Amino acid sequence: MKKMFSYLKPYWLCAVISPLMMILEVVADLSLPYLMAYIVNYGIMGIDVNDPNEGSALAGRILQTLFGSDFSQVTIIIITFGVLMLLITLIGGFFGTFSAYTSAKAAHGLGYDLRRDAYGKIMSLSIEQTDKFTTGSLVTRMTNDISVIVDFFEMLLKGFVRSPMFIIGGTIMILTLDLTFSAVLLCAIPALVIVIACVLIRVTPIYARVQKKLDKVNSVVGENVGGARVVKAFVREDYECSRFDKANEELKNENYRSLKTMAIISPMLTIIMNFSVIAVIYIGGFNIYIENAGFNTGDIMAAITYITQVINSVMMATNIFQSILRAGASAKRVNEVLETEPIIKSGNGESSCKDTAVSFRNVSFRYPGTQGRPVLKNINIDVKKGETLAVIGSTGCGKSSLACLVPRFYDATEGEVLVNGVNVKDWDIEKLRAKIGYVMQKSELFSDTIEGNIRWGNPDASHEEVISAAKTAQADDFISGFAEGYGTFVAEKGASLSGGQKQRISVARALVRKPEILILDDATSALDLVTEAKLRSAIKEKAKDTAVIMIAQRIASVMEADRIAVIENDGSVLHVAPHEQLLKESSTYRDIYDSQMREYGVKGGKANV
Amino acid sequence: MSEENKKRTADMPNIRPGGPRGPMGARLNAERPKNTRQTLGKLFKYIGKSRAVLTALLTLVLVVTVIDIAGPKLQQQAIDTIRFEDGRFTVDFDSMRFYLVLMGIIFAVSGVLTYMQSLLSAKLAQNTVYRLRRDLFRKISKLPIKYTDDHRHGDIMSTMTNDAENVSNAVSQTITTLFSAVMTLIGVGVMMIYYSPIMTLAALVTIPVTIVFSAKLGRFMRKYFADQQKLLGKLNSHVEEMVSGYRTVAAYGREKKAVSDFAESAGKLRACSIKARVCGAVMGPVMNFLGNLQYVILAALGGILMIKFPDSPVGAGITVGTIQAMLTYSKKFTHPINMIANQYSTLMTALAGAERIFAVMDSEDETDNGTKSVSAEEVGGNIEFENINFGYVADEPVLKNFSLSVKSGQKIALVGATGSGKTTVINLLMRFYEPQSGRITIDGTDIRDIPKEDLRHLISIVLQDTVLWNDTIRSNIKYGNLSASDEQTEKAADTAMAARFIERLPEGYDTVISEGGTNLSQGQRQLLAIARAVLADPKILILDEATSSVDTRTEMNIQKAMINLMKGRTSFIIAHRLSTIRDADVIVVLKDGVIAEAGSHETLINQGGEYFKLYSRQSAGLAT
Repeated sequence: MKKMFSYLKPYWLCAVISPLMMILEVVADLSLPYLMAYIVNYGIMGIDVNDPNEGSALAGRILQTLFGSDFSQVTIIIITFGVLMLLITLIGGFFGTFSAYTSAKAAHGLGYDLRRDAYGKIMSLSIEQTDKFTTGSLVTRMTNDISVIVDFFEMLLKGFVRSPMFIIGGTIMILTLDLTFSAVLLCAIPALVIVIACVLIRVTPIYARVQKKLDKVNSVVGENVGGARVVKAFVREDYECSRFDKANEELKNENYRSLKTMAIISPMLTIIMNFSVIAVIYIGGFNIYIENAGFNTGDIMAAITYITQVINSVMMATNIFQSILRAGASAKRVNEVLETEPIIKSGNGESSCKDTAVSFRNVSFRYPGTQGRPVLKNINIDVKKGETLAVIGSTGCGKSSLACLVPRFYDATEGEVLVNGVNVKDWDIEKLRAKIGYVMQKSELFSDTIEGNIRWGNPDASHEEVISAAKTAQADDFISGFAEGYGTFVAEKGASLSGGQKQRISVARALVRKPEILILDDATSALDLVTEAKLRSAIKEKAKDTAVIMIAQRIASVMEADRIAVIENDGSVLHVAPHEQLLKESSTYRDIYDSQMREYGVKGGKANV
Repeated sequence: MSEENKKRTADMPNIRPGGPRGPMGARLNAERPKNTRQTLGKLFKYIGKSRAVLTALLTLVLVVTVIDIAGPKLQQQAIDTIRFEDGRFTVDFDSMRFYLVLMGIIFAVSGVLTYMQSLLSAKLAQNTVYRLRRDLFRKISKLPIKYTDDHRHGDIMSTMTNDAENVSNAVSQTITTLFSAVMTLIGVGVMMIYYSPIMTLAALVTIPVTIVFSAKLGRFMRKYFADQQKLLGKLNSHVEEMVSGYRTVAAYGREKKAVSDFAESAGKLRACSIKARVCGAVMGPVMNFLGNLQYVILAALGGILMIKFPDSPVGAGITVGTIQAMLTYSKKFTHPINMIANQYSTLMTALAGAERIFAVMDSEDETDNGTKSVSAEEVGGNIEFENINFGYVADEPVLKNFSLSVKSGQKIALVGATGSGKTTVINLLMRFYEPQSGRITIDGTDIRDIPKEDLRHLISIVLQDTVLWNDTIRSNIKYGNLSASDEQTEKAADTAMAARFIERLPEGYDTVISEGGTNLSQGQRQLLAIARAVLADPKILILDEATSSVDTRTEMNIQKAMINLMKGRTSFIIAHRLSTIRDADVIVVLKDGVIAEAGSHETLINQGGEYFKLYSRQSAGLAT
């Protein structure tokens, strides 16, 4: 929570003005009853303002300044104080609105800054960290949690002077009346504090759980919206509904639990307040009964008013307190994001193009937090500028993991990865990634136009460059076929495009940045071989100096590569060589080759190469 | 982003037919002609579903309100036992004690009742929002695929969390307050009429002003609050999209752009929220002003009537006491009105939220009016596509007059260039989309006449994009058949060649698949999806590029394992790797939405047409 307060700093002026304005509004509010009393006493009842007992010096002075010493018209008195009342209401209203404006400005300003910073943080985290938080939870933290914090600050700024003012003022007034009355307060206040403290202690952990349950609801909804096809295909709507019902039920119960715990506060406060009133009347009455001088009706009435005021203010303070707790739980969750330091830290080095673009030196890799055998084992490969290195191997052998190490999605567990001769850990990560065009297995497109999606690769690219990249990626033909061409809108995650179309747009996105290193992680699997071959030769032609790392399943996709790295099942690489040499040397490669040759009727791997 | 955004929402064409893109898209600039009364009505229907709780709650509120009004009266009587006589204060201590005991009892009762009231209103709010969420989720599961394809996911999620939460807040706070305020107002109104109908009439002058003003302000507030919810939804979808596509964001160094886009929406949210709050804050003072205006009018009118017209029919009977009583009641008017004004913002936010929720609930369901129930045992699996015409956009047909006859037990391969309509055929068979003309039959029954549930039970599908849940591997496979035993599950994994890698994982079948799927490779995910489909034991199996990320040797083994399994069942296979489809009974070559040719591998090779061209180019590619 402390950290949240530091976010208030830029808005200190508003944060100071808002309570001040609130004080003025309170003053205006407090003066209204006097004016109302003037209207009744001097207007309706016809009491003389200057009457030494019942009159009021202030009211007399007001009338005198306005009308001189001679006035007696009752209607004038009523209208004068009436107009004054309305004026003060307006002024008070103005202060109140201004206070609301400044507090909203400060609180929502704080919310804005907090969102921006927290989101900026998310965008700087490493892949494994965002995965760990889960999307659903990050989404709730960025919206719902921060909204709770904002609401709290708004309430705080408007309320925090008001209640203490009343509490302190009221207590002082009671003390001046009679010490016996303060005994009531002495009993009531600790009772109040104990009740409130007990409830708050119990409710705090519940609030944290409420937010967690909300995450869960969010996750289930997210999964279902994202995986709607699978849910429908397997007719699992009922199953999903019961899964959701469980999450929903838990959220409901947790919410109800928190409300139930809080529910005791308001009646307890009312009871304590009312019994204090009874006590005050009793004490007053008893003292009069035993003929103790110095007690009168006026004092009793005043004591009741002040005690009610003090306890009411405590009640209001409790509201603020309660929202501190809610906000505290949310603040903790937002803080978790703010305080997470990216595991993968940027270096500050860079290096221009060298002959060897990428080299893996004794690289071993295991996913963070996992145990067992490493995914990659002691890998040594160099990829030269302008060279195409293909990577092939069986499912799950670590092909993609190898590619992930180059842009530092993960860091190698052992050994080092060098780009242009510099260890990737020493690279300025932004500059490093700027050199790489990475096309993933699962092409992720965003809700934007096709051109907008391609331009992700290079925001400064001209329209011509976008088209040229699309042409190289063999995407221009189908894009031009759309009625809206490059302006066609792509639905979220590219749901409106076929697999092959998505892949080609992704390739175009990588190409438009004219990368020094192009990584194609099984990026053309949904393309037919003809299109894929065209794409490969277009890349070869357009990006002569680019080092290409191409992961693929199909022998036909890799056999033209300058060299092919075969990843064995244990994650090691025994052979890196051109196709023909591999056929002779690598049994794994020959196996793969044979399995694919079958379709061309050349059985048993005796292909006439 | 603002310019970009306008484009997205207003002018951007849509590949999919009809309809605006996303709920916030089309409505962002539009004024809201939405019917508030309708939304309120629907909301009350939901609240009304907990009728018993609601009735109990309102009764309690009524009792507590009466006690709240009666309390001060008793207190006054207790104090009135003290008298000022002969220059000193005396007290009738016995009657005072009586009143005090009475007060104690009443307040204790009121305390208990207040507690029950809080519990009930919490229960009511939670029940209501639980039902809203439940129905909303059921609705989402009934929406056609097109809806989720067309709408931003984060925005739908925001309806579920943020909007529903706002409704819940309003129900728990507002209902009690409003009802108690209205009760107090009515009580006070009745008392005023009792004292002086004429002066009450004068007091009522302010009421039309109050109504007109709150309606005017309400319209502003509704707009701001609605915008606020929309922007919150937008933030939600932005975070959802960027975080779930974080690898790409990172790979392309788009973090800063993402943050600046986000900040822009957050900035708009800030501006909009401040406006909403200020509108809400104006409400209180204005109501105060109107309340005080009423006070002054009563005082002035009363005074004038009493003094100037004591003998006229209107002025008769107005005494100092009457005016005083009227003024006291007028003061009592302000308190409940203030309470209502304070709840106004909460209510408006809730209304904006409810509107978004009902907007989802009111969208059209997936059409499902088939009545001819079928079960897997009876179905032979003869599938007939008859003259299908379909396009996602009206003028861009994807399938043109597509006809295909599939015999039970056949293995059909769909081949063709990317975008030639292969997946579309599957979308139509699954009834994810409906053809514009033509029909599809299974064993002669139009699939539109079969309940969707039955239809989909016949079919298992493995999709291009693997969807796995954030759950254990076992549960993910069992998704295909919830009642399957562990042995069956493991056997399915074995058939899909997934068993080997699963068993190598430290926690085996109990390994939880992480959301980002970091612990599995794409190929391994595909194997799990296949295992899931196998476990479902379908009559019709569809593999849509299901093994594209699986190495060819594993794929070969899967095919071998499936031969037995698929006896007497129909399967559709879409693949680019010809090794995947070579064994198919019929290979259908699609070109530009029409069937270029169809037949077995040998026939097509001998024909020397499109397939031959594809094939020879591939073998040529391989044999260089």
